[in-house]
Amino acid sequence: MSSLQPFRKTLTIILAGGQGERLYPLTKDRSKPAVPFGGVYRIIDFTLSNCINSGLKRIYVFTQYKSYSLDKHLQRGWNIFSYEAGEFLYRIPPQHRVGMKWYEGTADAVYHNIYLLERNKPDQVLILSGDHIYKMDYGAMLAFHLAGQAPLTLAAAVVPREGAHHFGILEVDENWQVVGFAEKPAEPRTLPGNPDHCLVNMGVYLFDTESLVREVCHDARSMDSSHDFGRDIIPTMVPRGLVRAYTFSEAESRRPSYWRDIGTLDSYYAASMDLVSRHPSIDLYDRDWPIRAWRVPAPPAKSVQGVTEDGSMPGEIHDSIVGGGTVVSGARVERSILGSFVRVNSYSRVTESILMDGVQVGRRAVLHRVIVDKNVIIPPGTSIGRDPVRDRSLFKVTGGGIVVIPKEMTLQE
Amino acid sequence: MKKVLIVDDEPHLRLLYETDLRRAGFETMTAANAEQGLEFVETMHPDLVILDIRMAGMDGVEALQRILDRDNTIPVVLNTAYSSYRENFLTWAADAYITKSSDTTELVNTVKELLAENTVQS
Repeated sequence: MSSLQPFRKTLTIILAGGQGERLYPLTKDRSKPAVPFGGVYRIIDFTLSNCINSGLKRIYVFTQYKSYSLDKHLQRGWNIFSYEAGEFLYRIPPQHRVGMKWYEGTADAVYHNIYLLERNKPDQVLILSGDHIYKMDYGAMLAFHLAGQAPLTLAAAVVPREGAHHFGILEVDENWQVVGFAEKPAEPRTLPGNPDHCLVNMGVYLFDTESLVREVCHDARSMDSSHDFGRDIIPTMVPRGLVRAYTFSEAESRRPSYWRDIGTLDSYYAASMDLVSRHPSIDLYDRDWPIRAWRVPAPPAKSVQGVTEDGSMPGEIHDSIVGGGTVVSGARVERSILGSFVRVNSYSRVTESILMDGVQVGRRAVLHRVIVDKNVIIPPGTSIGRDPVRDRSLFKVTGGGIVVIPKEMTLQE
Repeated sequence: MKKVLIVDDEPHLRLLYETDLRRAGFETMTAANAEQGLEFVETMHPDLVILDIRMAGMDGVEALQRILDRDNTIPVVLNTAYSSYRENFLTWAADAYITKSSDTTELVNTVKELLAENTVQS
């Protein structure tokens, strides 16, 4: 058997149908995996790049809600597969093969598409979420899986205890067999000898195909199930000794690797701001692990001196990410992420903000800790992010105090 | 009395299964194709379905999925002359898979077991 054989015999399913209601209004017109991130990416680009970099090129993306934006992105940005060589990326909206219902949960989405597994007959199926930010070599996980006996290997991340209650908490024995699992417990169990950290389920599942089919078929017949891998399938497999955990950590240091489930607007904002820090947790400039994205054909970004009737002012960009075609003219941009074709005009100041593609900031505007979705025009003289009471009367403001302006919202001058 | 729906396009097999299941104490009803079978599932609410796979029109594999979409608690026994369907993932949601035989012992015993299980659960 060639060394590539396990990769060819592994089918990848990316679950990309989530509504992402907690990311609203960024998910007003798009599903969570299609939310722009880091200036030029969509969230799903990280998972897809991991697949390509890991040599996994047989991919189904299961879509459901508001899939137009994601469809468009995948078609334009990920049309890179050699179909003749057996590679593929197909988008799979609900086919209504099984019935007329929509997917009721992650396991139900797989159950509805058993037809695809029957057609492909892969040895393993890798199930991924399309809304996580991380860089992971699935090949190392595949090798771990093939070396063990368990029909399911799930990836586990070490995360701080605070916040761990949002995830499935794992207990493992010395052979990495999962011996305990609690989905989103109020009091998460910490790691032995490490009371500040927990081992959590990342939602990255590598199944032997027959086991996967058996489990989702059984689950589909259960009246009490919500048909979800985390809530239903994993808890029933753990007591039967069928699950091993693969710890997601840096190969050499064994330090926990960076992984974020972008669940809320505040976690989206924090993960974004991390990118403009001096040493980001996720390196976008690593040429050994490129993160691909669809790039609008755009001229280079530039900053220029702004000249007005009041004089001139330099265009300045500090500690920021700037997409193609963006112009900062006589304005100051600090610790911010600007997408493509953004324009920031004279005497304006943008700090710790995220401006998505096509945002236009008029003269003398001030934006501080604001997420501005695509194509919003900020009128001259507008100030957002400095007056919480006023901001709350006009916009969505998160618990963390971040103002969010929806796509194409019209603002009063 | 528990009602068993037999879906099979071969009249003599329907008769055979009906006879033996009635003898075993079940009420029976029959459908000559999958479309009719689906209609009976909805209108006559059987307690269990015996489903042939190769039939003219809709096959039993598709009918299985449609039955479970309507009612995922109803036991379905796939009963076919072809053992090869056993490897087809689309048949794995069935409660049992039986290769057809003129000896109906296995079929009748399976029906008994599944309906006994169902009774215990409910």
